[in-house]
Amino acid sequence: MIVARALTKHYRKTVAVHDLSFEVPPGVVTGFLGPNGSGKSTTMRMIMGLDSPTSGSALVNGRTYAELGWPLREVGALLDAKAFHPGRSAFDHLRYLARANDIPLRRVDEVLEAVGLTSVARQRAGKYSLGMGQRLGIASALLGDPGVLIFDEPVNGLDPEGIRWVRGLLQGLAAEGRTVFVSSHLITEMSMTAQRLVVIGRGKLIAETTVDEFTAQSAGKVVRVVTPNASSFVSALREIGAKVTVDQDGAVVVDGLSSADVGRFAAHRSFTLFELTPIRASLEDAFMELTRDAVEFRADGRPIALAASSGPYREEKS
Amino acid sequence: MTNIAAMESPRSRYTMRHVVRAELTKLTSLRSTIWMLLVTVAGSVVVTILSTNSVTHHDPAWYQGFDPTNQAMGGLVLAVLTVGILGALAATGEYGSGTIRASLAATPRRRLFLAGKAVVVGGIVLVVGEVLTFVCFGVGQAILGSGGAPTASLGQPGVLQALLLSGAFLALLALMGLGLGMLMRHTAGAISAYVAVTFLIPVLLNRLPSNPARFTPVPILANSIAAVVRNPGQVSIGLGMLLMLLYCGTALALAAFSIVGRDA
Ligand SMILES: Nc1ncnc2c1ncn2[C@@H]1O[C@H](COP(=O)(O)OP(=O)(O)OP(=O)(O)O)[C@@H](O)[C@H]1O
Ligand SMILES: [Mg+2]
Repeated sequence: MIVARALTKHYRKTVAVHDLSFEVPPGVVTGFLGPNGSGKSTTMRMIMGLDSPTSGSALVNGRTYAELGWPLREVGALLDAKAFHPGRSAFDHLRYLARANDIPLRRVDEVLEAVGLTSVARQRAGKYSLGMGQRLGIASALLGDPGVLIFDEPVNGLDPEGIRWVRGLLQGLAAEGRTVFVSSHLITEMSMTAQRLVVIGRGKLIAETTVDEFTAQSAGKVVRVVTPNASSFVSALREIGAKVTVDQDGAVVVDGLSSADVGRFAAHRSFTLFELTPIRASLEDAFMELTRDAVEFRADGRPIALAASSGPYREEKS
Repeated sequence: MTNIAAMESPRSRYTMRHVVRAELTKLTSLRSTIWMLLVTVAGSVVVTILSTNSVTHHDPAWYQGFDPTNQAMGGLVLAVLTVGILGALAATGEYGSGTIRASLAATPRRRLFLAGKAVVVGGIVLVVGEVLTFVCFGVGQAILGSGGAPTASLGQPGVLQALLLSGAFLALLALMGLGLGMLMRHTAGAISAYVAVTFLIPVLLNRLPSNPARFTPVPILANSIAAVVRNPGQVSIGLGMLLMLLYCGTALALAAFSIVGRDA
């Protein structure tokens, strides 16, 4: 369980996090979502006791991080920047962490095996690729078999297979009853991994919700229809009060009705349909809508910094 | 998977012992540490060979007031530099690489963390420093003896003390480097500050009346701690050690003061 209470962090002139309160319960993956620069990493560093809050507090299992008796056995974290020395091997890195918290050394081999680094464990970490470094970070987080896990952009630098592996790992950890808090600026990634969401923008809480709620609320129902009788189908739909537009390619786009409703309506009125496509909730649009006023960087008054719409893993979305 | 939670006794927590064990693993698992220690020993012995060899085969009169022990400690000048860098790197290497975040996640009580680091850095350099002073002494006396120069032996008054304190002095210098490294966090800055304190400031102070340079670390080591024949105008052994403890303590105290509350 992680609890943030009125967490606030100022860096000189920058307000990185402002009056942020939320809870991360055990047993589910909680996504921490926000555009670039919205304060996700800062918040996580404060939970870890690395940065001290200007005001407010963050508690892990009811205590501040510094009060934990065996921190690595209670909290495991992968933070955004790499946290290992290029001259030290993965094995030695994990070995020193194990010694610090009296964790049996066989755990080092176990987590190396779990993240697939066993064969390169004795090599200097400076030679590791971005993805291997990320795996070492995940191994460090898992080392103490902690009940609380914090991951800052864990899929960064991972290939599609690695991404799938991380998703499974996070969900597995949550299913074991652990508290899993994972940040991302990619709503699509979160929708596939998390059940709960803490959404922030400009360091402030925007929503504390579930992925299902978020999708249902903000996405609406949009159905794309291709029919040879487009114009009469449009008028028929308008007669019953539906919001309809026609795409450039002639497809009819119905807003506010489910595909089942549209299909039934078409059958009832004997329209021939060539195509009936529920347009999957555009989570990115929803996310951008939600954080529009809270986006850090803008050009021409439009949010541009949302990697959500141009991230490298777009092909991964369903 | 191993069930670690089940092994945990209630209310227990990590202690100095765990921090020390982790720091020992951390320091010895870096090649740079091993290299710095090798350079310290090999380099110092070479400098001692050169410095003792340069004073052989003189007339007996030339050796009036000659201090064979001090001559053999000539190599420590190099060790002063390398142990300071070693201490500084023990801190700046963590900040530079981001390891500090992993370390503080494991041991968030920062002063305990710093103390553990100091124990390990100080301990390693103390052992290496003591070995080094005795090796330098042995090598130096052998060269002096074979070159017809007067030699010293461990049994002579003040010799053993000079060797033991010189080794300890190196450990204090390494801790001063550690303190500066923790304060400055950047390798270049910390090493510059260390070199300034040890080598630059004495050179500048040398020109001033009453020679205040003798109160700085390197002259204290070279002229008071590593000397058996007492020179007028140099600080006493007691005052010298006290001053060095003060310098080292100040650097560590500032580091301990600044490490708490500062964003890692
Ligand atoms: N150490 C620091 N010193 C000064 N400003 C900082 C520091 N760390 C973060 N900031 C500022 O605080 C704000 C929040 O940054 P943070 O890294 O927490 O965002 P983020 O949500 O993790 O972004 P991203 O998605 O890009 O990782 C930004 O404006 C950033 O410039
Ligand atoms: Mg970040």
